[in-house]
Amino acid sequence: MAFLACALSGGLVISACASSASGGSGGTGGSGQGNTQPLTIAVFNPYSGANASYGPEGASGCFAASTAITATGGILGHKTFTCIAVDTKGDPVDAVPAARRMVAITTNLMGVLGPSSDEASATAPILNGAHVPMMADTGQVLYDHTNLAYFWRNTPSDDFYGYAMALYGHDAGYKNAALVFGNDISDQGTVPTLMKGFTKLGGHIAINEAIALDQPGYQSEVQRVIAAHPDVIFDEFDPQTAATFFGELQQAGASIPMISTGAQYTNWISAVSRAMGASNLAKIYHNVLGYSSAGGPAFNAYQSNLLASGANVPDAKQWVHDPFSQAAYDGVVEFALAMLASHSTSPAVWDSYVTKVSNPSAGAVIVNTFAEGKAALAAGKTIDYVGVTGQADYNSWHNSNGAFTVTGYAPVNGALPLIKVYSAAAAVKLEG
Amino acid sequence: MGTLASAIGFGLVTASILALAAVGFSLQFAVTNVLNLAFAEVMGSAGYIALLSTHAVNNIWVAMVPAAVFGALLSYGVNRLIFVPMIKRGTKLFGMVIVTVGVGLIIENVILAVAGPNFSGYALPPVHTHHIGPFQLTAPQLIIMGLAVFAMISVHLLLRHTKVGFAMRAISVSATLAEHSGIDTRRIVDLTWLISGALGGVAGVALFINVGAFTSATANEFLVVIVAAAVLGGVGDAYGAMLGALVIGLTSEIEAAYFNPQYKEVVGFVVLVIVLLARPQGIIAQVAVQREIGR
Repeated sequence: MAFLACALSGGLVISACASSASGGSGGTGGSGQGNTQPLTIAVFNPYSGANASYGPEGASGCFAASTAITATGGILGHKTFTCIAVDTKGDPVDAVPAARRMVAITTNLMGVLGPSSDEASATAPILNGAHVPMMADTGQVLYDHTNLAYFWRNTPSDDFYGYAMALYGHDAGYKNAALVFGNDISDQGTVPTLMKGFTKLGGHIAINEAIALDQPGYQSEVQRVIAAHPDVIFDEFDPQTAATFFGELQQAGASIPMISTGAQYTNWISAVSRAMGASNLAKIYHNVLGYSSAGGPAFNAYQSNLLASGANVPDAKQWVHDPFSQAAYDGVVEFALAMLASHSTSPAVWDSYVTKVSNPSAGAVIVNTFAEGKAALAAGKTIDYVGVTGQADYNSWHNSNGAFTVTGYAPVNGALPLIKVYSAAAAVKLEG
Repeated sequence: MGTLASAIGFGLVTASILALAAVGFSLQFAVTNVLNLAFAEVMGSAGYIALLSTHAVNNIWVAMVPAAVFGALLSYGVNRLIFVPMIKRGTKLFGMVIVTVGVGLIIENVILAVAGPNFSGYALPPVHTHHIGPFQLTAPQLIIMGLAVFAMISVHLLLRHTKVGFAMRAISVSATLAEHSGIDTRRIVDLTWLISGALGGVAGVALFINVGAFTSATANEFLVVIVAAAVLGGVGDAYGAMLGALVIGLTSEIEAAYFNPQYKEVVGFVVLVIVLLARPQGIIAQVAVQREIGR
């Protein structure tokens, strides 16, 4: 709750919210000699507005990583590693001044988790210009080939999600699809590759609806979809829109399988299951999301550190299987290991070491936790961090497109049982 | 014909929710001259009160009563504690708009802090679609439409057949003249805030029932449409707000049924602009009134 209250305080959280952001000269550029104050990662995401769940999601991964890092004694004399919240409100109008304030006054700002698609176009250049490394959660296609040196992305971009959805739709035997996506940039990014991929695999697009988000009703849209007689609905929109749309679809007596993306959130499932009934949702639910593991040493470390961060992460267990929380955790660990590998807390120095600690390379020791990586680096070894989201392999544009999973929904315990896994290569093949 | 009838049915549902809110908004503006952009947050907070109340009464329609009471009291309290002191200090119309925006943000963030960022929803019994003539509507939607009709008739009876309504209309024309004629303007203004808040509370619950899931920000996303409906009919005119709600509700659904649904909200505003170009005072109002807040 303290973290939430800080997020509410108008965007940037300073000393009262995290010890890291107090005193000093502020700004970035490294912690400087003799500075042993905490190192800080800002979770630069919406905490309010339609996408208010993004902030707590990223924060959960950040705090899990900070717990792991601090438990080992910290980094290069900085005993504490911490996270702060910067609320972008999901709107560039609010996000730009928030970014400028954050950069100006946050001491030992090592990097950010974010920005999301809501504010990336406006803020990524600002952060890049200030030499603030970003582990972005935007899925925008334009960052597939970006020249922003401080931009990193360890989750698949929207176009890859489109291919993955098309692959599963085809493999599940669907031939006649309705596409129902929100009309905002983060939802529409998936549509072109989904259409391209699905038709390439022999499918037919019966109707392609871009709908206005967060309307009081979608019954006319629902009737149009039903009239197109699809055997599957591909979709992506925020929980409120999804709840209204699928609730009204259910009320209209239609039970059409959905293949969604971004529907893995507790919030999303809770909203939609309230609107249409959990058992009804379970009958039609399929969700495509980036790969996340549910076992092994990396997952165990992530889970234990997340659950140990309960003071900062309300209801921490809800994020255990969340791929974006896991990706945030891995991103912070990769940043921290890059600092150790470069012997520097100056982002201008360690930024280029992210690939050196994360990508596979000959002779590198595979490590699954921050503690293992720190020990291996201290022993003079080259490392390859394989985290909870699997092996990262950043390309020259700092993108690491991992594998995809398709999950169902089990209403009894709220679990998302695994249905299928697709490699990034499968999506790339469809692209070609 | 089937598509058109369906769209009209769905449009009537949207119009019903919109009318509950827009009439409350417009009535309050007519009497007080405060363009209260915190109105949506009154709706939202009342919606959450209904959610809390369902734990005790397990019936959303019964829970609507405490929600309406809360909306009335919140609306009244905000006016008494914040707006009136600001007006007494000389804050004018535009300044008060900014104050109401600030109050709205405070209320929304208090809800966020208390309820959290996660979505909430009312536990409703299984809902089925009923075919009534050419319309396909659910039971909750029919009840919402019934509530809206009841509220509109009540507002009409209040304005046309009671002393309070007469006083409200008198104040909306000239508060000074009304006061000199012996009307207790302060009492009438207080009553107006209470009635406006209660309508907002009912509208908030109706909106949340219809959308299925909601957060602290949900009601605020509806504010622009509420204001548009009020302005379209003739800002400050309760009957105009009813008509404005009907026009916007129907045009948006008909557009979504026949054209591109992503522009359903835009079409309502296109209609608004066209109407205001032809009739700057709105559809109903006879003349455009220059309004200012009195101290």
